[in-house]
Formats: sequence, C-alpha cells, structure tokens
Amino acid sequence: MATRNITVDTSALVRRSLEGKKINWFDQFVAIALLVSLLSGLLILATLLVSVFSSGFGVLADRGFDFITSRLSPDAADAGIFQAIIGSLILTGFVIVVAFPLGVGAAVYLEEYAPDTKTTRFIDANIRNLAGVPSIVYGLLGLAVFVKLMGGFTGGRTLVTGGLTLAVLVLPIMIITTAEALRAVPQALREASMGVGATKWETIRYHVLPVALPAIFTGAVLTIARAFGESAPLLLAGAVLSLFFSNSADAGIGEYVFDEPYTAMPIVIYNWARQPQQEFVALTSAAIIVFLMFLLAVNGVAIILRDRYERK
Amino acid sequence: MTIDSTQPPEPVDDVEPLPLDETRHHFSETLDEIKRGMVQMGSLVTENVRRAGDVMLEGRLDLAPAVIEHDREVNRLYAELEQTTFETLARQQPVAGDLRFLVSTTRILYEIERSGDLAVNCVNVAQRENGLPESPRLTALLNQMVSECCSLFAAGVDALADMDPVAGAALDAKDDVLDDLVGRYYAEIGRVSEEIGLETSIQLSKVGRFLERIGDHAVNIGENVSYVITAEFPGDTHAGVAEYE
Amino acid sequence: MSESEPDMDLNGAPDAVDTAAQPASGDEPGAPPAIFDVEKLNVYYGDFHAVQDVSLPIGKNQITAFIGPSGCGKSTVLRCFNRMNDLIEIARVEGTIEYHGVDLYGLSIDPVEVRRRIGMVFQKPNPFPKSIYDNIAFGPKIAGYKGNMDELVEESLHKAALWDEVKDKLKESALALSGGQQQRLCIARAIATSPDVVLMDEPCSALDPIATLRIEELMQELKADYSILIVTHNMQQAARVSDRTGFFNVELNERGQRTGHLVEFDETGKIFTNPTVKATEDYITGRFG
Repeated sequence: MATRNITVDTSALVRRSLEGKKINWFDQFVAIALLVSLLSGLLILATLLVSVFSSGFGVLADRGFDFITSRLSPDAADAGIFQAIIGSLILTGFVIVVAFPLGVGAAVYLEEYAPDTKTTRFIDANIRNLAGVPSIVYGLLGLAVFVKLMGGFTGGRTLVTGGLTLAVLVLPIMIITTAEALRAVPQALREASMGVGATKWETIRYHVLPVALPAIFTGAVLTIARAFGESAPLLLAGAVLSLFFSNSADAGIGEYVFDEPYTAMPIVIYNWARQPQQEFVALTSAAIIVFLMFLLAVNGVAIILRDRYERK
Repeated sequence: MTIDSTQPPEPVDDVEPLPLDETRHHFSETLDEIKRGMVQMGSLVTENVRRAGDVMLEGRLDLAPAVIEHDREVNRLYAELEQTTFETLARQQPVAGDLRFLVSTTRILYEIERSGDLAVNCVNVAQRENGLPESPRLTALLNQMVSECCSLFAAGVDALADMDPVAGAALDAKDDVLDDLVGRYYAEIGRVSEEIGLETSIQLSKVGRFLERIGDHAVNIGENVSYVITAEFPGDTHAGVAEYE
Repeated sequence: MSESEPDMDLNGAPDAVDTAAQPASGDEPGAPPAIFDVEKLNVYYGDFHAVQDVSLPIGKNQITAFIGPSGCGKSTVLRCFNRMNDLIEIARVEGTIEYHGVDLYGLSIDPVEVRRRIGMVFQKPNPFPKSIYDNIAFGPKIAGYKGNMDELVEESLHKAALWDEVKDKLKESALALSGGQQQRLCIARAIATSPDVVLMDEPCSALDPIATLRIEELMQELKADYSILIVTHNMQQAARVSDRTGFFNVELNERGQRTGHLVEFDETGKIFTNPTVKATEDYITGRFG
C-alpha cells in the first residue's frame, strides 16, 4: 500500500495566509464617502464666501475706511456700519460683564458646592434645556422683561436691554461650558489641596479655577463670538431696524447706553439685505465681509489663547 | 502601574541612583547585627573552651560557675538571634547572598551553641572526677588538644567575622591535626586504663570526644561561611551537612 | 492579650473585633503611647455598610500598616483619620477616633485644622500643577505661616530626601519630576504643615521598585518625627516596613453586603511569623484572596 507522505510546509502556509490580501474595498469606499461629505461642506462654504467677496469687495475697495466710519443712511453711497460696530461691541461688552461672572459663579456653585440631590439634578437638566431654546424666545423674554417690565431702569429699547437679553441668551451655555471645564479638573487635585488643610473655597480659588481657566476662557470667547452674531433676540428687544437713525450728538456714555437707540451688525446686514435697491446688495456683502473679519479675529484670539494655555 | 496614554512615558526614575547598599538600610543593619551576634557568641564559646581547659588541666574548679554563666549567655544569644533571623526571613524576602546568609546563620547558630554545650560538658566531667588524674602524657596530650581546639574554633569565628570563604574552607585540614591528637589520646587512655580505673577512663575519653566534636563544629562553621560567599560547600557537596549527627 | 481565634467563614462569622488579637499599647507596660485610639468605628456609604466595628490603637512614632484584599475597607478606614471621608456626601462615620485624646468627629472639631495636623499622601502622586516651591509653600501659607518660607521649604525637602535633587530647580514645574520624585514631593508637601501624623494610601503602587524602596527607606527615617499609617495592597511591603500590621478582610453581613472588618492587629513580626487567626495566615501565605 502506498503511503502518501504529507509534508506540511508550515512556513508556506503562513506566508499564504499573510500575503496577498486583497484591498478592503469597503474600507476604501467609506474613506472616500467621508472625504466627499467634507468637500461638499467646504464647497458650499466656499461658494458663499466667493459670492460675498466678489459682490462686496468693490465697496470696500472704493470707500475703504469710510465705510466703517460712516453712519447709516438711506443713500447707499453714504451708508456705513459705524453705529453697527459700536453697537455690537458694546453689546459684547455687556455679555462679558454680565454673563461671564454669573455663568462662572453658577457653574462653580453647581459643580463644587451643590449636593447631589434631585433638585440639583433637576436644575442642571433645565439649564441644558435652556441652552437649546431658540434665540427668538430669548428675544421675547427681553421684550417682556427688559423692555416693558424694567423699562424704567433700562430705558426701553436701549443697549442695556439688548445687552441683558444677549447675556441671558448665552448664560446657559456659559454655565455648561464652565461646568464641563470644572468637571475636567481631576478630583485628585482637590483631594491634594484639601489634604494639606485648605478650605473648599481655597481649593477652588488656588487650584481648581486656575486649572479650569483656560477651558473656561476658551468657552467664554466662543460664546461671545456666538452672541456677536445673534440677530433674532435683538430684533425683538429693540435694535433699530431702519435705514437711518441718529444719536444725540452730546450723548455721554451713560446716556448712550441707557437712553439712545442702537443697532448691531447682524441687524444692519439683515436690513440691507431686505432692500430692493441694487446698491444695497453690494453694501450687504461688504458688511458681511467686515463682520466675518471680526468673527475671525475673535475666534483667532480664542485659538491663540487656547494654544498658549495648553502648551503651559 | 497605570498607564495614561495621553501623556508621554515618564522618565525612568531619578537622576542619581543611590549606591545599592543605601536602600534597605534597615535590612543591611539587621544582617550586620546578626553577624556581630554570632561572632560574639563564637568568642564566648572560644573563651569557654579555654576556661574548660584551665578547669581540667589546672584543677581550677572555681572557674566552673563562670563557664556555666557564659554558656547561659550563649544560649540566650542563640534564642534571640534565631528569632531575629526567622523574623527577617519572613519580613524582608531575602534572595541570593542574603538568603544564603540567613539560612546559614540558622545552621551556624546551632554549631556554636552545641560547641558551647560541649565545653560545659568538659567542665562537668572535671567536676565529677574532682580534677583529672595526674598522668603526664595524658595531661600533655589534653593540653595540646585544648590548645588546638581553641585555635581551630577561633579560626572558625574569624572566618565568620571576615566572611572569608578561603579561611573557612581551610579549617578542614586544621581539624585533621586535632583528630590525630584525639586518636593518640584514646590510645594513651587505653594504655593507662587499668591504672586509672574504668569509670575515669570512660569520663576521660568523653572529653576527647567533646573536643573532637567542637573541632568538627568549627569546620562546619567554616564551610557554611564558604557556602554563603560561593554558594557551594567546599569539598563534597553537603559534606558539612553530612557531618551532623 | 492574644486569644486563639475560631476559624472565619463567610456565613455569619463571629464578630472578630472584641477578641481580635491586639498588641500592648497605651497604658500597658512596655508599650509605646497611642496617638490614635479607634473604638468601634463603622463607616456607611448611604445604605451600604462599608466598614464594621474597627477598634485599634495606633502607636506614636511607629509605622502601622493596613493590609487586606480589595474592598476590605482599609482605605476607607485610613481616610477616617483625617476626615477625608467628609468630602463624600453619602459617607457616614460612627464610633470614635481619638487623637491625642480628642474625638476627631466631635461637633466642635474643624476638619480643616484636622487635615493640617494629619497629613496625607495619595496613591498616584498628585503634585499641584505649580512650581516645586509653591507645592510645598501652599499648605503653610494658607495656614497663616509667618516664618521664613524658604527655610521651611528647604527643611521639608530635606526631610523627604529630595532636596539635593531639586535644590537648583525650585521654581520649575513639579510635573516635570519623575514619579518617584513627585511622590517624595508629595511627602514633603504633607509634612510642610508640621503634622505629627502622615497617612499614606498605597503610596508606592504607582512607582517602580527602586523608587518604592527609596520611599520605604524614607518612611523609616520619618518615623523618628512622625507617626505613619500606611495602607498597602503589597503585603511584603507591610512586612518590610511596618512595626504593626492590621489585617482587614471582607465578609458578607446579614444583608448580603460585603462589609470590611479588622481581623487581626499585632506586631508585624508576629503577624508574619505566627499569626493568631487562621484567616490572617491564609491571606499572607497567599492561600486565598
């Protein structure tokens, strides 16, 4: 009987199983599909930017600095966005002054002091809900409370009102980002501090906040950038939506804020976009370009600061 | 050890490593303490052998209580050092040379303690016989034996003190001298046995055995020292162990 | 004082506390004075009975180690000594811990002051993300230290056997140090507030063997000035380093919860050569747990 010698060449087997794998087509397909979605998004963005720039660049080229320093006017050739810039900047100032301390304070309380009870969790959940409320609702709030109810104090449709409305709008987001930043601080740090005999506040002040500050700061800057671009709440809370308004020539800061009418960049952009005249198209685009520059600057600051703190 | 994958690996420990014997200070000191204790025990026994010789050869029965007193100290040290050794074995997880040292210590302690007992036994014989018979040749031999035994045991203790494996291994040859003397001693006893009587002969020959055994214990001490350093027993493997009765 | 122990089994074993073997302490002759006296300590996390009826003395200027399997409550007990369990909302402590005769959980006692006198070193080195100098200066500063801070920092670093390695870089970040150095920094930080007790919760478990041995060496030196209480899951470390050892074990109580309790507490030499309780012997010889 012939015996077949079955010699199993192990290394050949191994080689065959390791080599010659076909390309995983599905993997490739997925990679390409994802790339396409990215490019599509970028393409849409690019189209917008290109159309805005091509349309508005001419105005900036012709009038340049004048565009930024001129006031609103029904005449497209004279209209400038000076008042809008001032308005936006002051509103942003309000947001910083009001929302930042309140937001950070509330978050510190919720994360560091509040006991973990149903009430606390309820409040926490509702803050998150508030962050998702459409901004126009905040506009209604602003109208009802700051314009009408507190009209005596705020002066009605003023920068104070707008500022407070925007501050209330971004407050939940501020609280949430600060809370996240605090939560990211390792518990070991708090324990180390308490362990050498620090009180809760000393621990927060000397250890937790300094570590969380970069993240809080980054969050704050991004929040401000968002507030910068809000228009719906301001529409309701009293920004002037006309082609022209003037302020008293001798208004001091106090009056300017508490008495005078105001506007903001998104409002002006919205208004000019509505105008039927052809010239306002270019004007709108020019305003958008300036607006985007501001936004870029603010976001740039955030990125630079974040990088600096992370490298530390 | 937890590994945090978001951080670069930590640098391997500190800049300047301490010289190796500075860590585990406490442990090193304990080992030194044990060795000093053993050497002290051994010196006490060497002294006791010398005194036992005086008791037997010069009839100094007044020295007997001192011998017994010192042997009590030897036994006390034995118990204390053994306890320390066991505790150190349990607590310090010794390995390699340290482990060999501690294990050998338990053996060496036994050798020394037994030798101490044998010296006392010599003294007991002298007391029982109320002094040894006046036989010049016996006395001379006995004198030599005591002297040789003392020097051999002292050499063992020195080897221990210095942890010298060469000196330790050399003791076997020295012991042959003692064994030879003991042989001649037995022969002499046989010769004068009728003169001195059966009982005395038996007692005298016991002394010979005691001294010979002390010599063997000294050799074992030396061999254990050699083992600690070289991890081998000189001559046959476990020759030292085989010597145990 | 020792009595022989019945075998422990998992179903309703007898209460080990009152009959647990204890070494001489306090007023008994030939004993070191006790710096802590723990009497029937029980710790609850909400409804969960974590630690049951622990009673033991902690000797002054000694190193006392707590060993036992995971979940036996040794860290929980340790954290009672400096009231760190206060930081956990649902934690509740019953029984007494006397420190120099004062009940640590008395109503008038300020936990912040307690933590200044009873320092703590944690499992993973956790230096502040500040300079080496500031790490050490922080505790004394908030305690109102008015003396020469430079000297205090130097002294603390000397005592922690770290001065020579960092004396030229006190202003550099503590996080740039190696793990072993960081832990020694944490020790220096703990002793900067002049405590007389240092609690250590598995201080070497995140360190390599050489760093571990150096810290053990340091503990032996610190013993002269401080009373040290260490929790370790490495019983060989407890064997090497401690004067007294407490063996904790976990058991199912009547409600089916895994509760920790003290099985045996004695001189370390005795625990590791001839423990009184069989469960202790089983644990240290590695035959269970």
